[in-house]
Amino acid sequence: MADLARIQLDAAADGHVLRLGGELRRAAVRPLERAIRQASPRAGRALFLDLSQVSGMDSAVVASLIGAWRRAQVAGGQVTLGPMSQAAERSLAMFRVAVEPPAAPAPAGAVEALGGTAYGVRDAFWEFLQLAADATFAVGAALTRRAPLRLGAITQQAIDIGSRALGIVGLITFLVGLTVAFQSAYQLQQFGAAIYVANLTGVSMVREMAPLMCAILVAGRSGSSIAAEIATMKVSEEVDALTVMGLDPMQFLAVPRLIAITCMVPLLTALADLLGILGGFLVGVFYLDIAGEAFINQMLSSMVPWDLVSGLIKSVVFAWGIGLIGLYYGFKVRGGASEVGRMTTASVVASIFYIIVADCVFSVLFYVVL
Amino acid sequence: MAAALEVDGVVARYGERTILDGVSMTVQPGEVRVILGGSGCGKSTLLKCCVGLKPPDAGRARMLGQELTTLSERDQRSLLTRVGVLFQYGALLGSITIGENVALPLREHTDLPPDVIAEIVRLKLAQVELGHAEHLLPSELSGGMRKRAALARATALDPDLLFCDEPGAGLDPLTSAELDELLLRLRDRFGMAIVVVTHELLSIHKITDKALMLSQGKVIADGTLDEVKATPHPEVRAFFDRLAAGEMRGPPSALDVLRGPAPGRPPAARPGRQA
Ligand SMILES: Nc1ncnc2c1ncn2[C@@H]1O[C@H](COP(=O)(O)OP(=O)(O)O)[C@@H](O)[C@H]1O
Ligand SMILES: [Mg+2]
Repeated sequence: MADLARIQLDAAADGHVLRLGGELRRAAVRPLERAIRQASPRAGRALFLDLSQVSGMDSAVVASLIGAWRRAQVAGGQVTLGPMSQAAERSLAMFRVAVEPPAAPAPAGAVEALGGTAYGVRDAFWEFLQLAADATFAVGAALTRRAPLRLGAITQQAIDIGSRALGIVGLITFLVGLTVAFQSAYQLQQFGAAIYVANLTGVSMVREMAPLMCAILVAGRSGSSIAAEIATMKVSEEVDALTVMGLDPMQFLAVPRLIAITCMVPLLTALADLLGILGGFLVGVFYLDIAGEAFINQMLSSMVPWDLVSGLIKSVVFAWGIGLIGLYYGFKVRGGASEVGRMTTASVVASIFYIIVADCVFSVLFYVVL
Repeated sequence: MAAALEVDGVVARYGERTILDGVSMTVQPGEVRVILGGSGCGKSTLLKCCVGLKPPDAGRARMLGQELTTLSERDQRSLLTRVGVLFQYGALLGSITIGENVALPLREHTDLPPDVIAEIVRLKLAQVELGHAEHLLPSELSGGMRKRAALARATALDPDLLFCDEPGAGLDPLTSAELDELLLRLRDRFGMAIVVVTHELLSIHKITDKALMLSQGKVIADGTLDEVKATPHPEVRAFFDRLAAGEMRGPPSALDVLRGPAPGRPPAARPGRQA
């Protein structure tokens, strides 16, 4: 124990002599490196190692000596091994050296990275379209009974995506209905037009808020879980196992999820419509003192069936996209468990982005074009 | 009789890296073929090429006389029902029980009545001594139990060709030996052709009919165990002579490097010299 590390650097005619002694452990590396740098064997100069007093060396010390040797090689200098103790010889013999270590991939420059990202986005979009086509085709095959329609699996997914979301979807859209009614009441009361709160909540819930809130909730709840489940199955080779058992992962995994989500989101949206309107109704009746009947009549007179239908059409399109995006990120995963988390997050971000963009396109389509 | 498996000049790449570079082999019915080679040399990749999970970049793999990638979807399915695969980590479906995992291929590919399927599942699980685990989820089993359950699933349809990727890895020697005996029984009773990737010397001596050794994407030895052992290739020698393995190959030690090229020793390649 008492054999302390000793490091001594002496100048010599054609370079330096580095004398090491004692137990050389990790703690000795810093002074050792300082000595090696000071000697820094350049062209025509040598670093002569005297290890005769060494009673032990750990891997950090050996690595430091090898580092000196490597730098000397590059600079054209020399590291020469002189006398050494048995302990030093044993330590040096124990570790193997990658003479030409594999080059780490060079980090890309800014322009290159930008180009890489652009190509990445293009490839990703292309892959997504392929998966969307495959999945759509697979759903078609199942619905036309050219492939088995797995009712059990569809039901189970429908329960997960639909029934289990009833509470949270209902609560959130009820609160949104309340909020929209309060906000508009504040403005409309100034003109003595409080009754128009009925028009505003009815139309905005049914056309916009209910489909949007519902889709965003389902993206966070179910889109993410589709991505996570499939990605987990992919990294644990379960998807491969299905394939070699002759079970098409598209049919087995993708189709039930897509069918279930596409059926459930419009139903959830219908529930959201009702509860959102209920929120508005309560504000109208208890805060604005409008008669319940008058509120309902006012609301119904301001709405046309298309308001409801357009909201439901939107919700179907949102649902289909959320399902496909979840599947895409699930099947895309490569590598291990950390990738599963990354893909799950990415699927939620992409789904919400998709929902907002699609909603925007619908607004233009419904209000401007039609 | 037609070969159970014919691999002909298979090339497999991941990106730029060529993992398999023209691998050929045949496996006859009723034969246990053991694939040997260092970790990461492409043994699992070879299995994936055979069963169509990674279509070869060149060359062909024919299972039971048919080339999977050229078949229609329906024929692919029916060929795959005659092939079983035991994955390196089991790959049981995590959301259903062990029993349901074993029943899955039976339910999907046969029209057997449910109670017969249930009985088959019990037979198969008893065969791997997992009768008690039928209603457990894969996450409730140890690694070795999962492997055995996966073997029960792989053999559920009594395949003619079975692939096993490191069946003994991570198992205790006794279980591993039992698994080996089971493979031999499957071979003898059903004339199954079995392709096994393994590192366990004990297993190798017990089960091998023919062996094949891979190194750097190529076949470096092919034949019976004695023939393979007699191959003069240094890596084959190193593999079977584990004690010498460390000395014969691998990069130089720190001592060699610092000492510099010694007489009689080939000079080590040194960075900077060429520059
Ligand atoms: N999906 C993949 N993507 C990229 N490289 C892979 C992939 N799978 C395997 N490899 C590489 O291929 C080589 C062979 O892998 P594998 O066949 O699993 O080896 P082993 O002989 O140990 O089974 C390894 O170097 C591995 O890094
Ligand atoms: Mg492997």
